[in-house]
Amino acid sequence: MKTKLIFIPLTTLAACALYASDVPPVGSAAPDFSVPDTNGKTESLSEYKGKYVVLEWFNPECPFVKKHYGSDNMQKLQAEYTDKGVIWLTIDSNAPGTEGNLSADQAKRVMNSWKTRQTALLLDPQSKVAKLYGAKNTPNMVVINPDGKIVYEGAIDSKATPNPADISSSTNYVKNALDESLAGKPVSNAQTKPYGCSVKYNKSS
Amino acid sequence: MFSLRPLSVAASAILLAHSAFGQTYQGKELVKATLLADTYAIVPGKPCNAGLLLRMAPGWHTYWKFSGDAGLPTEIKWNLPPGWKVGEIQWPIPLKTNDPGDIQTYGYQDEVMLIQEITPPAKIDSSLVKLSAQADWLVCERICIPGSANLELELSTATSSEPKNTDLFARYRRLVPQDFPAAQTASSTWSRTGNDLHLKVTGEQIANYQTLDFFPLPQGNTVVGHPSVESRQGNEVTFKIPIESLDKNLSSMPGLIVFSKFPNGNERTAWRLGASQVAAATQPSRTSRGLLGFLFFGFIGGFILNLMPCVLPVISLKIFGFIKHAGKDRRGVFRNGVAFIAGIFVWFVGLALLLIGLKAAGHQITWAAQFTNPYFVLALSVIVLVFALDLFGVFEIALPQALMHKMLHSATREGEVGSFFQGVFATALATPCTAPFLGTAIGFSFTQSPLIILLMFVAVAAGMSAPYFLLSAQPAWMRFLPQPGPWMVNVKQFMGFLLLATLVFLIYVLGAQRGLEGAIWASCFLLIVSVACWMKGAFIVPASSAAKRMTSTVIMLALLLGSGVYLIGDKFRAAIPDLVQIQQGDWQPFTPERLQSERDQGHAVFVDFTAAWCLTCKFNEKAVLENSEVREAFQRHGVVKLKADWTNGDPTITNLLQQFGRPGVPLYVLYPGKSQEPVVFPELLTKNIILDKLETITVASR
Repeated sequence: MKTKLIFIPLTTLAACALYASDVPPVGSAAPDFSVPDTNGKTESLSEYKGKYVVLEWFNPECPFVKKHYGSDNMQKLQAEYTDKGVIWLTIDSNAPGTEGNLSADQAKRVMNSWKTRQTALLLDPQSKVAKLYGAKNTPNMVVINPDGKIVYEGAIDSKATPNPADISSSTNYVKNALDESLAGKPVSNAQTKPYGCSVKYNKSS
Repeated sequence: MFSLRPLSVAASAILLAHSAFGQTYQGKELVKATLLADTYAIVPGKPCNAGLLLRMAPGWHTYWKFSGDAGLPTEIKWNLPPGWKVGEIQWPIPLKTNDPGDIQTYGYQDEVMLIQEITPPAKIDSSLVKLSAQADWLVCERICIPGSANLELELSTATSSEPKNTDLFARYRRLVPQDFPAAQTASSTWSRTGNDLHLKVTGEQIANYQTLDFFPLPQGNTVVGHPSVESRQGNEVTFKIPIESLDKNLSSMPGLIVFSKFPNGNERTAWRLGASQVAAATQPSRTSRGLLGFLFFGFIGGFILNLMPCVLPVISLKIFGFIKHAGKDRRGVFRNGVAFIAGIFVWFVGLALLLIGLKAAGHQITWAAQFTNPYFVLALSVIVLVFALDLFGVFEIALPQALMHKMLHSATREGEVGSFFQGVFATALATPCTAPFLGTAIGFSFTQSPLIILLMFVAVAAGMSAPYFLLSAQPAWMRFLPQPGPWMVNVKQFMGFLLLATLVFLIYVLGAQRGLEGAIWASCFLLIVSVACWMKGAFIVPASSAAKRMTSTVIMLALLLGSGVYLIGDKFRAAIPDLVQIQQGDWQPFTPERLQSERDQGHAVFVDFTAAWCLTCKFNEKAVLENSEVREAFQRHGVVKLKADWTNGDPTITNLLQQFGRPGVPLYVLYPGKSQEPVVFPELLTKNIILDKLETITVASR
């Protein structure tokens, strides 16, 4: 009996892990979430209903994230689309004690020195949002349409390298997805394999 | 050299070309990269091997060709003099790593060597050659750092050479996967249900290893989930490979079948399942054999149609007709016969094209899904009843007068053209008898591709016309035909009772959907339909006066309309199912929440997706699931049994069925206690399938 009791927490954990691996497919409703941003304001996906929303998983220590920020590629994308009314949420889902987990102050410093242009940077140290979306990489990109449906998920672009020199010759999937959606067209490349570092989940999740 | 100030984009190492290079991070050497050859000297025209040796600091790893959920494969770019060739990287079998958050990666710890074959040209001028390569890798522990090195290999040329670095090359060659064995040693089959690929591998080697795994090599933008062992027994293992991207047509995937004594053990071997084996393994298997079987049954079915009472008299009439028209001229008889057969084919091909058109127009209906709609079942009941009354002779289904006239007219026409139209019309006239059979064929064909639908109907036509073909070629065989006579009326009437038996089943389904009350109202309506049919047979015949026919038609239509509006539109619609007694014995009603909570509590759960109208389900339940041995096994292993009733098309159940890639019931799923993936059973259960699976699950979860 006692040995059996041990299995209860184990199976619960396993069920959580299974839940985490459930990626909501393209075309399905984007799961809602509420997490604080760097100013302590709670940001929920539901408050942006009626707008295009981009989710970007972030880790300033990750070479693949640095590839797109060091080259100004990500900032330009953020500026271009937030100017068009798109909501851009950068999410730090790395667990405390792991590389890339930022406090609100640290995050603000990174935003200042990198001159980032997103709508808000969300702090998700319990990786709640990452689990909801099955996000496993930084960067991992999701585009949500005004109806709250996922229209794109996957990599930021077509060349899976940490080398910024490859950006100019790659296809930017997020830009394509947003341009096509904003023009009222279906997204031609709606799902790709994301590339990058892993999201640093807590050991017990 | 590498700093982690956030803005510094990790610069590639700019180095002098050397055969070795060390990547350091915070004063610690993370990766030492070396370029090696398996020979002391280059012999012109003779292939040799070069290897990139990466030695990683403890805890750090580099990645395989497919890195998994994160990471990047190591890349090697050669800069070779003209005329030199280099082969593909021979990737050693990697290790699988699980990180928090269900992140799975494939890579190498401590050390790895990536071997490539180098082929020098037949003639080399210099006595010393420099082969240079740029290597790029990503090395990760909890964080990831890209590394890069320009490496150079300097070798002299000679007419012969001795091997070098033999131990190292031998060690890594052993770790390179083997080709998938020949057909007599092992076999592989792919199938797909919903978003999961299933790979079944059979081979004697399988029984010898404790740990089996499938390492996928997805192509293009395919996003693959985590493969797992779905079931294994003796020489056979089935892997489940979930596909997370929308590649609806993906039916297989290259990868490695990895064997080891322990999980991630060093003593591991693997079989490479390449794209070509994938194609070879999938094609000749079930689909083509299945299709041939269906076509064979189509042919037999078509042949049996000739024995139906509406058709049988036609054969002898037609053949006698041929003989009469063509006199004793055998060739004339044959020509008429072929024209008649052509008519049959045109009718069936026309039907097939109609169906393909309907399907293309978006009417992608499966019978199974239709059965969840009580009005569909009711409509089917009416059709079956009407056919039965027709067979009893209560009334007769006749084609419109104009058509009959044309038929008679064409029958009197001479020659092949007449025979052709007779073929078309004889088949059309036989519809009351063929409809129940064609209905089945139509139901089948809705799930198939246009080509298969067409082939199926051609097979039926071929079967039906086979006797005409034989008899017009050999009129003497006419004597083997049974003589038409009163016995045929008896056969016809007996067929009517078979249809009534079908009706009993349909009413049972209606009862399950709308309760006893609903079934009674539906039966009342069916009674009115019978009366209407009788009126048509008794009063609406050419012999009665026009006024009488008119009055009868009006009364008949009024009856049908009135009873339809009252009995069906009002009473039947409002009827609700009786409180379904699902909790029969130890079965509990299914809800997704119930399933989740039982699983959370660590219970193994078996779900029976069923419906009242599903005969296969009923059979499985009676013969297998309620079998005392099976019940006892379920109890012994502490499996919670849930029954998901899809009789009325419950949408949450429809969703689950779709997740498993099923258009309908039956579906049997076992959710084992631990984190194992659910096990899906075949549609036709046997006692042993259930008992065997229960044994393996319990062993695995202890």
